[in-house]
Amino acid sequence: MADPVEGRDPVGELRSLADDCVHCGFCLPVCPTYQLWGEEMDSPRGRIHLMTQVLDGAELTDATAGHFDRCLGCMACVPACPSGVQYDQLIEAARTWVENPRDRPERGTGQDADEYHRTLRERVTRAAIFAVFPYPRRLRLLAGPLRAAQRTGLDQVIRRSSLPGRLSPELAAALRLAPPPTGRIPALPRRVPARGQRRAVVGMLTGCVQGVFFPQVNTATARVLSAEGCDVVIPNAQGCCGALSLHSGRRSEGQRLARRTIATFERAGVDTIVVNSAGCGSAMKEYRHLLADDPGWAARADALAGRVRDFAEFLADLTGPGGQAAARHPLPVTAVYHDACHLGHAQGIKAQPRALLRAIPGLELAEAGDGGTCCGSAGVYNLLQPEAARELGERKAATIQATGAQLLISANPGCSLQIATALAARGVSMPVAHTAQVLDASIRGLPVASLTRVTR
Amino acid sequence: MTTQPSRPATGGHTGPAASARTAQDALAAACADLRPADPADAVAGVLPSWVASPATTAEAAATMQAAAGLGLTVVPRGSGSRLSWGLPPRSCDLVIETGRLDRVIEHASGDWIANMQAGVRMERLAEVLGEAGQQLSLDVPTLAGGDAGTVGGVLATGMAGPRRLRYGTPRDLVIGVTVVRADGRVARSGGKVVKNVAGYDLGKLFAGSFGTLGLIVEAIFRLHPVPAATAYVTRECGTAAQAAAAVAAAVQSPLQASAVEIDRRAPGAPVMVSVLLEGNPSGVPQRVSLMREVLGDGAGSAEEAPGWWGHGAAAASDGTLIRIAFWSGALEAVLDALDSAAAAAGLEPSVGGSPGAGVLYAAVDSLSEPAAVAGFVSALRAAVGRAAAAGFPPARGSVVVLNSPPMVRGVVDVWGLIPGAALMQSVKDQFDPDHRMAPGRFAGGI
Amino acid sequence: MIETLIPAMTEVCGADGVITDPAELRTYECDGLTSHRSIPALVVLPENAEQVAGVVRACAAAGVPFVARGSGTGLSGGALAPADGVLIVMTKMKKIIEIDPASRRAVVEPGATNLSVSKAAEPFGYFYAPDPSSQVICSIGGNVAENSGGAHCLKHGFTVNHVTGLEVVTPAGEIVWLGDGTGAAPGYDLLGAFTGSEGTLGIATKIVVRLTRIPAAVTTLLAAFGTTGEGGAAVSAIIAAGIMPAAIEMMDALSIEAAEAAVHCCYPDGAGAVLIVELDGPEADVEAETKAVREICEQAGATEIRAAADPAERAVIWAGRKSAFAAVGRISTAYIVQDGVVPRTALQDVLDRIAELSAAAGIRVANVFHAGDGNLHPLVLFEDGKPGDKEAAEELSGAILDLCIEHGGSITGEHGVGVDKSRYMPKMFGPDDLDTMQMVRCAFDPRGLCNPGKIFPTPRLCGEVPGVRRGPHPLVASGLADLL
Repeated sequence: MADPVEGRDPVGELRSLADDCVHCGFCLPVCPTYQLWGEEMDSPRGRIHLMTQVLDGAELTDATAGHFDRCLGCMACVPACPSGVQYDQLIEAARTWVENPRDRPERGTGQDADEYHRTLRERVTRAAIFAVFPYPRRLRLLAGPLRAAQRTGLDQVIRRSSLPGRLSPELAAALRLAPPPTGRIPALPRRVPARGQRRAVVGMLTGCVQGVFFPQVNTATARVLSAEGCDVVIPNAQGCCGALSLHSGRRSEGQRLARRTIATFERAGVDTIVVNSAGCGSAMKEYRHLLADDPGWAARADALAGRVRDFAEFLADLTGPGGQAAARHPLPVTAVYHDACHLGHAQGIKAQPRALLRAIPGLELAEAGDGGTCCGSAGVYNLLQPEAARELGERKAATIQATGAQLLISANPGCSLQIATALAARGVSMPVAHTAQVLDASIRGLPVASLTRVTR
Repeated sequence: MTTQPSRPATGGHTGPAASARTAQDALAAACADLRPADPADAVAGVLPSWVASPATTAEAAATMQAAAGLGLTVVPRGSGSRLSWGLPPRSCDLVIETGRLDRVIEHASGDWIANMQAGVRMERLAEVLGEAGQQLSLDVPTLAGGDAGTVGGVLATGMAGPRRLRYGTPRDLVIGVTVVRADGRVARSGGKVVKNVAGYDLGKLFAGSFGTLGLIVEAIFRLHPVPAATAYVTRECGTAAQAAAAVAAAVQSPLQASAVEIDRRAPGAPVMVSVLLEGNPSGVPQRVSLMREVLGDGAGSAEEAPGWWGHGAAAASDGTLIRIAFWSGALEAVLDALDSAAAAAGLEPSVGGSPGAGVLYAAVDSLSEPAAVAGFVSALRAAVGRAAAAGFPPARGSVVVLNSPPMVRGVVDVWGLIPGAALMQSVKDQFDPDHRMAPGRFAGGI
Repeated sequence: MIETLIPAMTEVCGADGVITDPAELRTYECDGLTSHRSIPALVVLPENAEQVAGVVRACAAAGVPFVARGSGTGLSGGALAPADGVLIVMTKMKKIIEIDPASRRAVVEPGATNLSVSKAAEPFGYFYAPDPSSQVICSIGGNVAENSGGAHCLKHGFTVNHVTGLEVVTPAGEIVWLGDGTGAAPGYDLLGAFTGSEGTLGIATKIVVRLTRIPAAVTTLLAAFGTTGEGGAAVSAIIAAGIMPAAIEMMDALSIEAAEAAVHCCYPDGAGAVLIVELDGPEADVEAETKAVREICEQAGATEIRAAADPAERAVIWAGRKSAFAAVGRISTAYIVQDGVVPRTALQDVLDRIAELSAAAGIRVANVFHAGDGNLHPLVLFEDGKPGDKEAAEELSGAILDLCIEHGGSITGEHGVGVDKSRYMPKMFGPDDLDTMQMVRCAFDPRGLCNPGKIFPTPRLCGEVPGVRRGPHPLVASGLADLL
């Protein structure tokens, strides 16, 4: 019988990644679940320890798998690690073990493969999520009735009967809080030409959640890029980039979606792909790891990953000292910028959005006092681990509220939904906008009120 | 007051019936410098039989061993300047005096440490260290007669002066000790490096232990530079509230005060507030002018300490000396409590000390009525306890009668209630199972 | 045995506060020093002092050993529970109960991180001075147990100088206060004895700490030297000038190489040693001292001196130093972090001897140290898979401790003795010294249930009444005592 552990880690790569951890504990204070519960097993150090146990041949028990599931994947621990442990790679592997029980090591002959039993509700929720979210059309279909319900007062009825409502009150709540219907937002053309002198030709990912719930963010992104001299190419055949699947251990699903996205943007013939959603950008930059073992795709994945830029990253580069093409009009508002984990931690992009925002006259930037702890959204985490997510959301909302800001700026749709939900639960109504929307308003000389109208 | 030699303690190996002669021979064999005690050797009124002055650690150990073998009660003594502090020992057969253990064993100026025997006088130590521009930063108040005590005595009483605000007390500066246990064995902890966490820190335990755990024979301290420049900024305050505000402002300023002292001769008299600034000559003048602003109206400065500095209530050598410890933010409440307790008792204590470090001393003259002093102490204790009633720790302060005439001692609870007293008793039982070391002098009957 | 304790523990801490799953228990098998491991029989996570007392009482009643653990960042294996013991994890007790700026005190729970106390005090203009390198995560309770220091303890002192009151659960399960927060409580200084006792005397459940005013000015200087000898000479000259910097740190060429690899700290090229000197205090004083330190470094042959005046620049200078331990992982697959102390004046001699030992053993040693107080952190590098390499590294690491003792130093300056160094205690202390220390242990924990097997190589029988005469201390007998 084949050594199951070897099957899991054929060249000992994971073991070697895990061995980089010297157990110093510097990852603990930045880990949201450790902040919540203070338990070793729900910290990066503890999870690596659990992974090592599994790699050493220990059974993947329900308890162990539960701790992997409870990881938000916020990656705050990665930059915090002085030893450079690649926790992102490790947790991704661990998630695939949980997701695919048959890959799991078996212990000796004659013994049944241990099976991690997620609860029924959890499995159904997962199935539902991955049947809907990566597919913008399905997502749109679902979102429409929810909003209609909200407007018509059928809310309660729908909440009890709708799929997301039944599975997860959090999902329903989040969907209901999402911005007003999309009807008035014109669909984006395939190409938005540069205003003035053309400085670049860029592709733009529209994303699934972003595209459905925050189409106005995509519109703003395209307008800002165009104003700054970019031809923006928006392939219409694009779907989900695979981030949600990838960050949930659904590797093969993620690979499938990645291949499609790669092909789409190859066809677009652009130098750079600008991504305005933190989770998507982070996943696309990781395509080279995701498809490294796929001989037909490895090189293509590598090439594409190298051309992916976050919106703020790209724009800060382009409009750096003296490079600003479009004038910024004043936006007198105190705003707080929320670091989306997949932007701040995973991509290390913290300074650029702040620099872009500070360049807007009149805009005062406040800082939340929590050092960028995850808001609990974390992809679909708030749907799968609602209690932890709610607690983290509450904490985040409290720190955001404490800044006294009038506007919350976030570059990730999940964060925006999550924090808005948590703020609403505190009875706080704070408008949420994407960096691109704020820049768009400034470039177009719109009043601050335009931002509050956009989201509420 | 007893003037009889105290009875030999029980539990020794020779028993109470052993003849004084045998005991004296045994002690003399252990310690070359042994003499019969005279009335001047009385410890808070308790007259010992002998005084031994060992000259080496080995001799001190042999003496302690002999005393253990004889079951004798022992009181260690430095200069004797604060020997009357605390309670009188229940019994004292032998005084072990450290006067001949007077060597500064090592002054490693490059390492800023000095190792010395317990009997070294503070004044002499200051001279030796001063030659290298260094000091042991304990400006222990000099009692009438110019005696600041010995290193061992200062350590055993835990005494510190105004600069405790910046440098702490002996326990903060001692980095190693050698002690002779009650059974005569020699033990050492710490060492001669400042940074050291190997093993339990016996130096802390012996600091302030009033000789009840054993005999301190050597101590190693960390040292500090003698500051190149010093200045005092002083202000007279009309009320306790003003003084409390001035102290708070001085302590909370980032001007790095080395000491913030107050002095008030009597209730109702003005409160003098003085701040010591130390440092380099180019920095101190600027801090002086800033500190004058911090202290407010009428603050003046001088290079010399005000006349009362180091000679206030804490240096009182007769009468009743009371130490009040508190959280420094409660200064105004403590001053108010002092006033109302004094008024109720009809006393006029002088008050002074280091309020920035949360320590004040009240001195009541020796002619005061013992019952009035007792009333004053209990009222003060109740007030300090009350001020601290909320939160943790349950009592945020203490009132201890450090020194008092015998008549007062008879009617006042000298130490008061002490948190952790049961654990302290266990420690005492371990170190001195027969309770022969300064029995009864310390808190909780230890 | 342990199974019978589970219901009682669950009653005290709730089901969520008791861990019994074997895989979960194993995540608690070590602290920051992974070379010592022991899986506890049970882990509990109490939420208040009463629960801690309840847990301890249940253990005491059953005669089961127990060990408190903070954030598990210790480097001497101090927070390891025996296989039949209960690990009491304090991480849920992390409240900052009170900040009293007027009294310059904070009351905190033991699980609060060191840095969280400073952060809570910052709005009032204060900070908590002891700053171990792990301050982002190490807990105040752990700091109390280890009497933690840090780069800045040269000037500001250690944990024991900043803790003024402790609520502790005694090994009998009683809640008592040691000290009252004033720093001048009457009675024995049990607070001082408890601090640094490595969790062997009880479990702190509330801690009163002294807060320190944030200095008006801070300057950090980075000076590069050709050799550690030149750097050491500069340190001696600074100290001799009567300047008391907040911190003086030194790194040698190998540790600089590692730090560069990890954080690209851009220390001067080709430096054989860098010195980081931080001065804090009132502005004019710091300015004058900075000038003096600069001159001293120049005279000592510094090839380059950089000064940082704002927090961002300071962070750049400190980045290399703070990352040094973990960064060594970039130049070696495995390493031992040693922690020894020598009198500062013996530093160069000891460094030379370490270099000789290193060359003779063919084992690389990177030196990172708190030069101001002689606290060495030699990082002894070895290859994990290479036969005999680990053993050679361990031997060298032990020889370095011998050097420290030989020079009148200590086997640990801040990491503690724990399980890792108890075997070296008899080299530093005589039997009577150890016996006397253990009297304190017997007073607090006569049954030896509280963190057993730490610090002391052999436990003292607490029932034992000290013998009549066992002869004088060996040092006295040999005539050495007076020389020490």
